[in-house]
Amino acid sequence: MAGKPVRPVNAIDQTRRMLSLVTYLRERPGARIADVARAFGITEDELVADLDLLPMCGTSFRGGDLLDIDTDGERIWWHNPAALGEEAAEPLRLAADEATALLVAARAVSTLPGLREGDRQALLRATAKVEAAAGEAAGASARLSVTFESEGGVFADVDRAISERRRLWIRYYSPARDEVTEREIDPIRLVSVGHTYVEAWCRRSEARRTFRLDRVAEIRILDEPSAPPEMELRDLSEALVQPAAEDPEVVVEVGPGGRWVAEYYPHDSADELPDGGLRITLRTPDPASLRRLALRLGADGRIVSPPELADSARRAAAEALAAYDTASR
Amino acid sequence: MAIAKAERLMNLALCLLGTRRPLSKRELRESIEAYLEAGSDDSFNRMFERDKDDLRELGLVIETVENLDGEVGYLARRDSNRLPPITLDAEEAAALGLAAKVWQQARLAGAASGALQKLRAAGLPEDVDPYEAHGALEPRIPVHEAAFEPLMLACRDRRPVVFDYRKASAARPEPRHVEPWALECWRGHWYLAGFDRDRGAERVFRLSRITGRVRSRGTGFTAAVPDVVTVRETVASWAGEIADGTALIRLRSGAGYPLRAKAARVRELGDGWDELEIPYGHGLDAWLVEFGPDVVVLEPAELRADVVDRLRAVAKG
Repeated sequence: MAGKPVRPVNAIDQTRRMLSLVTYLRERPGARIADVARAFGITEDELVADLDLLPMCGTSFRGGDLLDIDTDGERIWWHNPAALGEEAAEPLRLAADEATALLVAARAVSTLPGLREGDRQALLRATAKVEAAAGEAAGASARLSVTFESEGGVFADVDRAISERRRLWIRYYSPARDEVTEREIDPIRLVSVGHTYVEAWCRRSEARRTFRLDRVAEIRILDEPSAPPEMELRDLSEALVQPAAEDPEVVVEVGPGGRWVAEYYPHDSADELPDGGLRITLRTPDPASLRRLALRLGADGRIVSPPELADSARRAAAEALAAYDTASR
Repeated sequence: MAIAKAERLMNLALCLLGTRRPLSKRELRESIEAYLEAGSDDSFNRMFERDKDDLRELGLVIETVENLDGEVGYLARRDSNRLPPITLDAEEAAALGLAAKVWQQARLAGAASGALQKLRAAGLPEDVDPYEAHGALEPRIPVHEAAFEPLMLACRDRRPVVFDYRKASAARPEPRHVEPWALECWRGHWYLAGFDRDRGAERVFRLSRITGRVRSRGTGFTAAVPDVVTVRETVASWAGEIADGTALIRLRSGAGYPLRAKAARVRELGDGWDELEIPYGHGLDAWLVEFGPDVVVLEPAELRADVVDRLRAVAKG
């Protein structure tokens, strides 16, 4: 399973988890470490760390007992479940942040056009039940919302091709070159990070590629089976486009009106300039693709290097202007 | 060895949940090893206050009760801390499992897992792998903006904030005093809607343009919070998605697919060029310039002049 969620070790998360764990373990003598770790969405190491801490917990100073919980490395045994009173072992209500995190995510996922109808219905039912169980804690969840973008029809075809393990033919628009190319791809998975993308093995470039669904001009499911080579799935949580260290460097200087470049382009550095602008250094495998950026910036910025890129933008602008001169004559 | 904070919090939680009568601070101090080792009264008091806040943060309702002698006691009553009965079937459980994985922000990822764990303890079925059940879809909610967490808490607690905000084209950030209403993620970016106290009106802010820290302003809201907060419509109008006119352009054959996809009408001119009628909204000039010599604007004159100005700026270098 790829794209493991971010989960820092912190005392609050661990306490929250241990409170649920004692309720859970009380009902399941001899539970297996592997099963419990999966049920709680944690690694076995994290679970073992909890099990090391739990025997230090209890109400021994108040005439009660410490929790006598131990493990033989495979199963978990609780020798004195009565140390935790029947009442103290009941499942706890959801906190406001917990209800918000779960409900906002559930509402967002339920709007994904590509979600199967049966799954959407299940999610909507679950959301309503969680809202009811959360009570007041659900209130603040309306103050956060997320919309995923995805192209319904294309999404459905990609999703079907993945589940039926079939190859896809697409016409794909590449903004860097302003061209539409035909490709055959073996789809691996769909990823929604703001926009929705399909990660696939591209048979034309013989490489792993990510395609943004709203740039797919046309799509067809082929009869051939999909056969992507075995590969490690990357963690896409940071950025979908990860420039490599050996990619050529591009330096752009922008005025205040071009500061948005730093928001849209992953970059190595962005240094403040005295006029309120920025000097941005970024890497791209294909600097020519940044001609569009140079043109868009207009008076708000310029390419410092490489000089060929700056020249090509100037030439393109001059050529474009010539058309206006001709037209006005 | 210092006693782990999680152990201390867990013991405090078990004491407060296990008691039928309020326990005084003195009793609690004597009940928990970490507090006995805390040293001075001051350091114990600080630790105890922080721990209570932390437990409340993860959902525990801790009551403060004064007894007949005027001594303050604490307890976590079962009836206010119990999760109401909830029964979810295997499909519903799998769907929630998928939803709980979408956050990429540490605090919300932790909270979503915590919610699922509480439901697990309450009997949520666990024999379905959410990825199996949902096929190939992996939705993720990105959160890269440092301002997100403080603003999320401020929206939750309805606390006014102040932050330095740099408008899209401004050189310097300016402080903004805002009553934050809601956060919305659209196309992978986070936006805040709220009441701007300096301007006396509703405003939408893009989180990536907030520079420096978000600070709280203790006082409450002064403006009424509307029932429906519309962030997306405002942002769409910035992005030029809301067109208020039509433009006529010439486009080289085969080029500019996205312009063709938006065109209301395309006419082949036959000389290697097509004529397109496209929606004209904010930002169209900058977009058309990207296509360089493959686009020529015909109408309106104002758009044509804007595009020529931009091209001249680039041609000058």
